[in-house]
Amino acid sequence: MNCAEFQRDLPLIIDTGGTEEQEDHLRSCEVCRDLVNDLRYIAEQAKLLIPMLEPSPKVWKGIEEKLKDQGLVKPVQVRRTL
Amino acid sequence: MANRKAAEDIQSSQAATAAVTQLMSEPAGVAKRSLVTKKALATGIPEAEIIERAKEGDGACFEALYSLHKRRVYSLCLRMTGNTAEAEDLTQEAFLQLYRKIATFRGESAFSTWLHRLSVNVVLMHLRKKGLPEVSLEETLEPTEEDGPKKDIGACDQVLAGSIDRVNLERAMESLPPGYRIIFVLHDIEGYEHNEIAEMMGCSIGNSKSQLHKARMKLRDLLRVIRPMRAAGKK
Repeated sequence: MNCAEFQRDLPLIIDTGGTEEQEDHLRSCEVCRDLVNDLRYIAEQAKLLIPMLEPSPKVWKGIEEKLKDQGLVKPVQVRRTL
Repeated sequence: MANRKAAEDIQSSQAATAAVTQLMSEPAGVAKRSLVTKKALATGIPEAEIIERAKEGDGACFEALYSLHKRRVYSLCLRMTGNTAEAEDLTQEAFLQLYRKIATFRGESAFSTWLHRLSVNVVLMHLRKKGLPEVSLEETLEPTEEDGPKKDIGACDQVLAGSIDRVNLERAMESLPPGYRIIFVLHDIEGYEHNEIAEMMGCSIGNSKSQLHKARMKLRDLLRVIRPMRAAGKK
């Protein structure tokens, strides 16, 4: 198996593993091995991206106005003690 | 799927903690509704109860749900669109849809999963209306010229592993073509499987895998450019 054949099949096998022949090529070919390691590393780093981005306050203001306009918010009932 | 749900639970818990911390540190004089929301979160009212109250139209609980989940929804929208203004509009739309549909939430999946799926659909609907090519129509796995075998000369000193940071990864993602970026966000960041992506995008599983591969290859090229630039800057 050569690099062209291996890399052609790579999209299908990178996340699940390949045939014996493909794994043999990976073991013996430094270029393809580096490629696979880089792609897997990118995927691993992506999993670690946490949602720290914050929308501006106007997003909630817009939601609040529309909730009122659409009558989705029920008025707060004042409880009276007797 | 199980890993994604576990990750979602962790993220949801982290988001809840972050939301409480943030709300408790807001300056004095905030609107009364925010004070009520703060109390609701600070007293440790379970999210399930907040959801039930939101179903009854409790405005403070709407806001509590927003505080708990806004980062996740906004980050998803921003990463998929690459545009701040669009992401804010879509975040707003996602939460409005949530509040309209919340009565239909039965608790069969985690609330965050349900909201997440709803948000993805909002973004995809928006992209379809814009007429963006989310994914090339039934692109085959036939290699193109740019897919040619990589025969990097001196590849050893170009290896990425251990050298990229997440800021660079976020920046590189912004440069991806929209179709690649969407698949990459859905699969590698959000943890959807290819069969789920194929169903959402209306493409084949093979197409989803192909686009993901191209996204990662493009990111690899972009990150290898950023790395020498940073090294040059440090000299």
